[in-house]
Amino acid sequence: MIEQAPVLIVVIPLIFAFITPLIGWWRKELCYPWIILSLTLSTFCSVITLLTVINTGVIHYHLGGWLPPWGIEYAVDYLNAFVLVIVSFTSLTVAVYSKKSVELELPEKTIYFYTVFLLQATGFFGIIVTGDMFNLYVFLEIASLAGYALIAVGEEGAPMASFRYVIMGTIGASFYLLGVGYLYMTTGSLNMADLARLLPDLYGSKVVLVAFTFLIVGVATKMALFPLHGWLPDAYEKAPSSVSALLAPLMTKVSAYVMIRIMFTVFKPYFSIEMLPVTTILSWIAAAAILYGAVMALAQTDLKRMLVYVLLSEVGYLVLGIGLANKNGLTGTILHIMNDACMMVALFMIVGAIVYRCGNREISQFRNLHRRMPFTMAAFVIVGLSVVGIPPTCGFFSKWYLILGAVDTSQWVLAGVLVLSSLLNAILFFRVIEYAYIEPRGGHDNGGESLAVVREEAPLTMLIPIISVTAGIVLLGLLSGRIVSTVIQFAIPACF
Amino acid sequence: MVDFIVGKYNYWIYIVLMMIGFYAMIGKKNLIKKIIGMNIFQTAIILFYVSIGCKKGATLPILGHAHGHAGQAIQTSAYINPLPHVLMLTAIVVMVATLGVALAIGIMIYLKYNTLEEDEILKAVK
Amino acid sequence: MKILNLIVVVITGAILIYGTMDMPGWGDPDSPASLHVSPRYITKTMEETATPNMVTSVLADYRAYDTLGETTVIFTAGMACILLLRKRRNGHG
Repeated sequence: MIEQAPVLIVVIPLIFAFITPLIGWWRKELCYPWIILSLTLSTFCSVITLLTVINTGVIHYHLGGWLPPWGIEYAVDYLNAFVLVIVSFTSLTVAVYSKKSVELELPEKTIYFYTVFLLQATGFFGIIVTGDMFNLYVFLEIASLAGYALIAVGEEGAPMASFRYVIMGTIGASFYLLGVGYLYMTTGSLNMADLARLLPDLYGSKVVLVAFTFLIVGVATKMALFPLHGWLPDAYEKAPSSVSALLAPLMTKVSAYVMIRIMFTVFKPYFSIEMLPVTTILSWIAAAAILYGAVMALAQTDLKRMLVYVLLSEVGYLVLGIGLANKNGLTGTILHIMNDACMMVALFMIVGAIVYRCGNREISQFRNLHRRMPFTMAAFVIVGLSVVGIPPTCGFFSKWYLILGAVDTSQWVLAGVLVLSSLLNAILFFRVIEYAYIEPRGGHDNGGESLAVVREEAPLTMLIPIISVTAGIVLLGLLSGRIVSTVIQFAIPACF
Repeated sequence: MVDFIVGKYNYWIYIVLMMIGFYAMIGKKNLIKKIIGMNIFQTAIILFYVSIGCKKGATLPILGHAHGHAGQAIQTSAYINPLPHVLMLTAIVVMVATLGVALAIGIMIYLKYNTLEEDEILKAVK
Repeated sequence: MKILNLIVVVITGAILIYGTMDMPGWGDPDSPASLHVSPRYITKTMEETATPNMVTSVLADYRAYDTLGETTVIFTAGMACILLLRKRRNGHG
């Protein structure tokens, strides 16, 4: 059982997804517990996998018993296992959360929604756990296709946003496929470990340079890195709330993981750093993304759209750490994959809860929200502090490592950008908190009205995930030293 | 020089095809034309992969007289490389699936706005 | 705008063509792709999988997991289309 855990993480939700429509036709209301069960089992397997990796080292699982360069291999090291645990916990949380919002937004389509939702999670797990370049492409497409469909069933304008995502997503995936083709042509292999062994002799080859460029551009498109982000704001704003809560934190983090994998496992770090100035270019693009996201977020009046731009700026943080390419920078990125997944999932769930109760997302309409939904807004404040980077919350620690990384390489401008973006985030979140908490002065009738506000908290299936993720944000912040010393320091490539 | 051109020209043709599709995807305003461009792009990638597997003087990757001549040694150079073909069988399926989902989204858009021109739809959304 | 798109396309194409400069020629039996992994598929297909058709043996045996992924892609697309296009029974959707 334990040695099968890496493959079970993917296969369990896959089989459960095939059965979901059948269960739905029999008893529609059983779909929800069914996917919760499936994701719980997956999460359990991913925790077992992480513990096995910590105790015994890298796991190699040969599918069908064929040895790696010929068959497909699942290679799970510290990095995979860590990201797997994050992704499985996040998708489980969103699954629990989705019940009420799906009943409200897609009452007629719950069966198919849950099926595609589970396939989306399967795609993410498959991308992370695999050790084969082409297998990664197949699961990337499963995740993307499910994502297109889930976004398109959102509010007014969602189909068009989703269509643009289809076009950009297909360009990204096709570029990735071309890159794999170029690599296959010069090496004859598709296995990541095998490629890492064969490639150093070919680093001068033009084919390898072009392959690397296309792989990185393809992944950056999927990740919505700054100049290629055009599809993201509309798509994630218009998607149903539980879909935004699933895709926004995970698609970007999974792509960031793939980028780390390609740059530092498939290619040796010295190729990415010295042979091509990729890391330098990436870190400047990342700085642009951070500032662009923060400034655009300032201009929004819609809370969900503001968060989408905050997400763009968080993608910048992830890439900045990759671009710095030193120990602290990469520690920051890997820690930020975890912290940002928690923060984004919490923020998008909170927006969903507010929309569920109030029916609108305009920040200026948030008067007295702290009386109406006290727990949700308290959670919002804590998560907001974490995004800004206030010490006891986890957001502080990943930013701290990123700043240390920037200082290590004497990139003072980049360190300055990080500090500046914290200030911008502080303005952003304080603006929302001000509207929600501080009551307007004067006007007697206004005061009378505010006292009459009924407390109308979000339903429990929404509130429990929100509160637990918020508690997790504080807890992970307190434990982050421990997480770095037990997992992350082994997850970064050995040469740093 | 001639060898160089003869050895590479088919890749160049695929790249030109890919770029035609790529231009249609990012440059055209009609959604169906974008979808057609997407298909051209993906088909060109499939052609590119299949041409990786080619070997001069080799035949289809199916053993002739496989049964009954078990002892005979099999020459690697006699059969073309089967792996790119397998990969492309998967990629074709992915392509069809993407096409299906893209068209389904296109239908949704058409039912809602009664047009498939991007600028008109964007106007209607705002 | 049109010009910008054209420039992007031309640059992408130029990078791809630049990559072909170091590629093995078309149909070269000594290219790395024909030497590293694939010979085992060709020579051992009867011995290991008892299938004369190598494409089948790779598809359904050596790399069968990709084929599982492929079926899942189709299933995802099918479910996605139902999710997108299914009409509501009441109301005028």
